[in-house]
Amino acid sequence: MLKIEDLHVSVDGKEILRGINLDINAGEVHAIMGPNGSGKSTLSYILAGRAGYEITKGRVLFHGKDLLEMSVEERAWAGVFLAFQYPVEVPGVSNIYMLKAALNGIRKYNNLSELDAMDFIGLVKGKMKDLDMDEKFLYRAVNEGFSGGEKKRNEILQMSVLEPTLCVLDETDSGLDIDALKVVSEGVNRLRDPSRAFVLVTHYQRLLDYITPDFVHVLAHGQIVKSGGAELALELEKRGYSWVEDKIAS
Amino acid sequence: MSVTHLPNIHYANLLSASSTPLVGSDVSWLVSLRERAATEFAEAGFPAPRDEEWRYTNITAIEKSQFTLAEKAGEIDQALLDEVLLEGCHHMVFVDGFYQSAYSSLSGLPDDVTVLPLSETLSASEEQQDLFKALMDSVVEEPAQGFINFNTALFTDGALICIAENTAIEKPIQLAFISSKDGALKLSNCRNLIIAMTSSKATVFETYTGYDDSCYLTNVVTEVVVEPNANLSHTRLQAESLKAYHIGGVYSRLEDNAIFQQSNYVFGAVLSRAEVHANLGVAADCTLDGLYIGQDQQHMDSHTRLNHSQPHAVSNEFYKGVMADSSRGVFQGRIIVAEDAQKTDAKMNNRNLLLSERAEVDTKPQLEIYADDVKCAHGVTVGQLDDEAIFYLRSRGADEQMAKNMLTFAFANEMVERISFEPLRMKVLDELLKRFPQHDMKKEWL
Repeated sequence: MLKIEDLHVSVDGKEILRGINLDINAGEVHAIMGPNGSGKSTLSYILAGRAGYEITKGRVLFHGKDLLEMSVEERAWAGVFLAFQYPVEVPGVSNIYMLKAALNGIRKYNNLSELDAMDFIGLVKGKMKDLDMDEKFLYRAVNEGFSGGEKKRNEILQMSVLEPTLCVLDETDSGLDIDALKVVSEGVNRLRDPSRAFVLVTHYQRLLDYITPDFVHVLAHGQIVKSGGAELALELEKRGYSWVEDKIAS
Repeated sequence: MSVTHLPNIHYANLLSASSTPLVGSDVSWLVSLRERAATEFAEAGFPAPRDEEWRYTNITAIEKSQFTLAEKAGEIDQALLDEVLLEGCHHMVFVDGFYQSAYSSLSGLPDDVTVLPLSETLSASEEQQDLFKALMDSVVEEPAQGFINFNTALFTDGALICIAENTAIEKPIQLAFISSKDGALKLSNCRNLIIAMTSSKATVFETYTGYDDSCYLTNVVTEVVVEPNANLSHTRLQAESLKAYHIGGVYSRLEDNAIFQQSNYVFGAVLSRAEVHANLGVAADCTLDGLYIGQDQQHMDSHTRLNHSQPHAVSNEFYKGVMADSSRGVFQGRIIVAEDAQKTDAKMNNRNLLLSERAEVDTKPQLEIYADDVKCAHGVTVGQLDDEAIFYLRSRGADEQMAKNMLTFAFANEMVERISFEPLRMKVLDELLKRFPQHDMKKEWL
């Protein structure tokens, strides 16, 4: 589904990603772990199409198409979703309005008719219930005045409604207490599907206690320095990132 | 002191040689009032950019266009009327500056409420004639700027509204000013006089419309008195043709403990100016809201002045502007707190969104404070759409234009949501949504 080949990315002339290679197939859950400044968030933003990054080498294929050539919205329509580390507040635009514009944009791209208001509301309310969210959030401005946990929940709600095929979760566990973490993780697990892939970008093992990854990759200094199964995350938790970094150094 | 230039000969000639019927041409107090205004206009003309208050708004195009007064009301379609008249209101319709009783509906008003066209007032009761005389030219400051003098000298009609003591009118009164199909190159000059007497309550709307692509001039003056403990809500919707010119002002006096809520929604006209002046009595409460949305070459000037001359008064002013293409917005907000106006609480906020590199906003808040125990705050911003928010919306599947529209709409809609009377809110919302024609801005989503 997603193939990243020798990806090099710079910001303001400074190289942040230095040759990433990654193959992700439908149905898989990949965790990308790494210390601060390793380039984890850059990788997430590159996949979503944020401006301000210079791709100096390499390519990214999504279902065989050049992802980096696609506009931000085309990626969303094609099934890429980034759950932001810091979800953006959008004053004056209600959650329901944004969701509906987003879903209809995606449906239009896929030659599906727009959902009528009743069906749409029914769909969203069902998903909100699953995530233990109050319906009043629908009519509040997107993320405005939301607590950290509410924002993260809102990201997962959007993901549940839009049903992307590639879900990239950037530090979704930060700002979540244990209850919220469970709810959010259950939300993600419900979406696990043979046709869908997940990339969990995270500093800590914590999220992976609830969402078991198929693969764990360690990102350090802009490169994937180690890959393994779920057990790698536990080892990292025990021994710290310096363990991996030391190994590279030696 | 206002700086002016020599009057345009065309407009000066209108003062002496117009065949348009004017209100009260045989009523001596009015004739002398008109003569005085005409003399002042003949000396000073329309305001020039040299005048600090008109620095950002050049009205040369109005002078060059040589608009003439209509001699009678022209034709309008029922369809336009249906679009203009708001549900649930009493209506007074003026076409090309003349009252149209056939289109108006004033039934069901309480007996002690006067709602009359000025053209009928001089044949109405003595009390109503006295009211006309007492209110006329009683609120505008001296020396009046040229457009006010021009209006005084040549007004053809307008509304007289008097809400008696302790009376509340349930339904709003809509004054609908329409430029007709024959209104091209015509100017309409209406004068409105509104008084909310002690402890009364009322809502008045003024709406301005014309035919698309029609070029005309509206020059309107509204004088407002809000007596002690009265509560008046007054909203103007300026949705003139995009080729028209609109100069309009609301000049008000708030007596002790009066409440006045004035809002301006500006969408139309190639060049427009809306002046709102308020003089606040002891513990008066004044709210000024405004929204101006410009596109193409539109020029929109909002000019407000709050005179806090007495203690304990409160004013809250909030104006927002969205300028697209090569449009230009002007906001001049002046608050004057006199030495005696202790415990004044005045807030002024002006926020602007520029959607294009060619768009421009000139914003100039002015606070003049002569008292020492007051709270005054002002804030001004001129900005662009938030790139992070655009990226976020696009990453969810809204295309770039849609994302920008959503954010722009949200910025403006904050002011629309302040309108409590639903039919008017829906009407203003329609005007706002017209600015996003090519995209799916759907009302039912809001």
